[in-house]
Amino acid sequence: MIEIMGNRSEATGWNRRWPLIVGLVVGLGLIAAPLAFQMFTRAPKGGTMITAFKPYMTEKTISDFQKDLGTIGVAVTEAKTQVSPQFEARTGLSAPPAAYQALLEQWPTINKDMSGMLSTMQSDIGDYQAVVALPPFPLFPWFFVAPGVFLVGISSWGLLRRSRGGSPRAPLIALVVLGVGILAAPAIFQMFTRAPKGGQMIDDFASLMTPAKVGTVQGYFLVLADGEGTLRNQVVPGIEHTTGSTAEQLASALPSITGFSARWPAISSTMAPMIGAMSDNLGNYAAVKAMPPFPMFPWFFAIPGVIVISTSAAGLVLARHRSPAADVASESSDPQLSGQPDSNPTNDEEKR
Amino acid sequence: MKRRSIATIAATAAMVVGLGACSSSSSSTPTTGPGKLVGVFKITAGSCTAATTSGSYFRMVAAGGTTAKGPFIANSDSTCATNSYSPLSPGTDGGLITGSYQTQPIPPMDATKNGLAAKIIQPVKFFAVNFALSSNPTDPQSGIAVPVPSVTASASNKLSAVLSALSVAWNGQQFNQGSPKPDGSHPGNTVDATGTYNPSTGAYTLDWSSQIVGGPFNGFTGVWHLEGTFTKK
Repeated sequence: MIEIMGNRSEATGWNRRWPLIVGLVVGLGLIAAPLAFQMFTRAPKGGTMITAFKPYMTEKTISDFQKDLGTIGVAVTEAKTQVSPQFEARTGLSAPPAAYQALLEQWPTINKDMSGMLSTMQSDIGDYQAVVALPPFPLFPWFFVAPGVFLVGISSWGLLRRSRGGSPRAPLIALVVLGVGILAAPAIFQMFTRAPKGGQMIDDFASLMTPAKVGTVQGYFLVLADGEGTLRNQVVPGIEHTTGSTAEQLASALPSITGFSARWPAISSTMAPMIGAMSDNLGNYAAVKAMPPFPMFPWFFAIPGVIVISTSAAGLVLARHRSPAADVASESSDPQLSGQPDSNPTNDEEKR
Repeated sequence: MKRRSIATIAATAAMVVGLGACSSSSSSTPTTGPGKLVGVFKITAGSCTAATTSGSYFRMVAAGGTTAKGPFIANSDSTCATNSYSPLSPGTDGGLITGSYQTQPIPPMDATKNGLAAKIIQPVKFFAVNFALSSNPTDPQSGIAVPVPSVTASASNKLSAVLSALSVAWNGQQFNQGSPKPDGSHPGNTVDATGTYNPSTGAYTLDWSSQIVGGPFNGFTGVWHLEGTFTKK
């Protein structure tokens, strides 16, 4: 009989401890997660990338880019229709310069690809704004570590109390409260809607953020820049010379080409930094891509939150509805939960 | 006693006059021996004919290329027949100064993103936008503190240089164009400046290349050739 009661006592002790052990394990898991996923280095890189793309992820910037592509497009059409026929006679040049030819030949490809890039970026503006509205990226790892530390601390406190014969009630209540906080965090930060959008943007950018793509766009820039310069410095002056036209007359006769040249410094000064942003953030993008998928992030909080709440609450409930035998068996070790005065002098001594 | 005093004063005066003469002659002629050359490396402007380019110039190698074989980027605003050469003209200081910085103005670019620094070279039009060269205590691109430009002549009149502080402003961007790079590295095609020096005439050449790290021309390489006359400070 004594042996049976002793076993019950051990079982009851375990029943009282396991919610605390679960809290401890979940806490350690939350602390370990950012380390395992290298969030301390990767998350700030994500923040850097988000900041770098800020000037380009607006309707106005993308709309301006699209207009600029239109400006180049009509200039190329004008060159094809007004300049290329009888090129030598019109310009006085012996042959179309290589840069001029390259612009005319490569423009359809450049236009299609660049337009596609801009469409992708445009469709991601909302997703980008959702990511911006999330807490700052460098804080991401701390959102795991901070509750993890609290969970470990409270659970350890409860286990220590138990080992000294004290009640786990207060630590369990604290764990429930903390669990509610962890569960509520994704909802407060609207992570369930924002994080999947971030994930969508990261997926969409996969086609843009590669060294090969950056190299291709660098090449587009050079074709456009060299083509514009050749139009401005060779082709148009050649026509001016052969026709005896003034600059004003030529601007009237070839409005799209002269418009392209007039606009080019502005196009260039927007396009070059954008290529720079792409190039400079290849590593940052790779770091973000290597983190767990964005849509999973709210669940990294919700699941631990639910586990902690349910186990801690269960621990509290079980403690209240223990069998009388268990109460008798554990009376000496838990006077508070049994509602009886503590008759065990050892416990009094420990509490002191 | 009086005669001795007069002799002493005369000897001292002769020494002072002699030292003064030495000092004034050293400020107007190039250094004759090896060591650091502190002064102005005056730039002979680049010039182009149909076949050749002479004087000082800049070229850019495309990403993945080499300084020996290119491919070199054509600058449609170059006045050279081979328009991968962009000729350089001396700036308001006459050229590259060693021993002190030739900083860029604030702001470094105008509203249309043309580089404005004009002390070392005159701004050069490159794809419709001017680039400008300067040397700054803190590299504008990396934010790293860099040493003042220095050039050293060897006993055999070969030049070596530390030009980490050189930077180009263009189109809203800053590109370090020195060697070694501000962090001391030599990425890709980056090669320290070397050259020749004639101590009797001051004639010099300096060549270096600096691969761009970051920005729209990441991986491209600036190739620089300066020539002219060194004038000691």
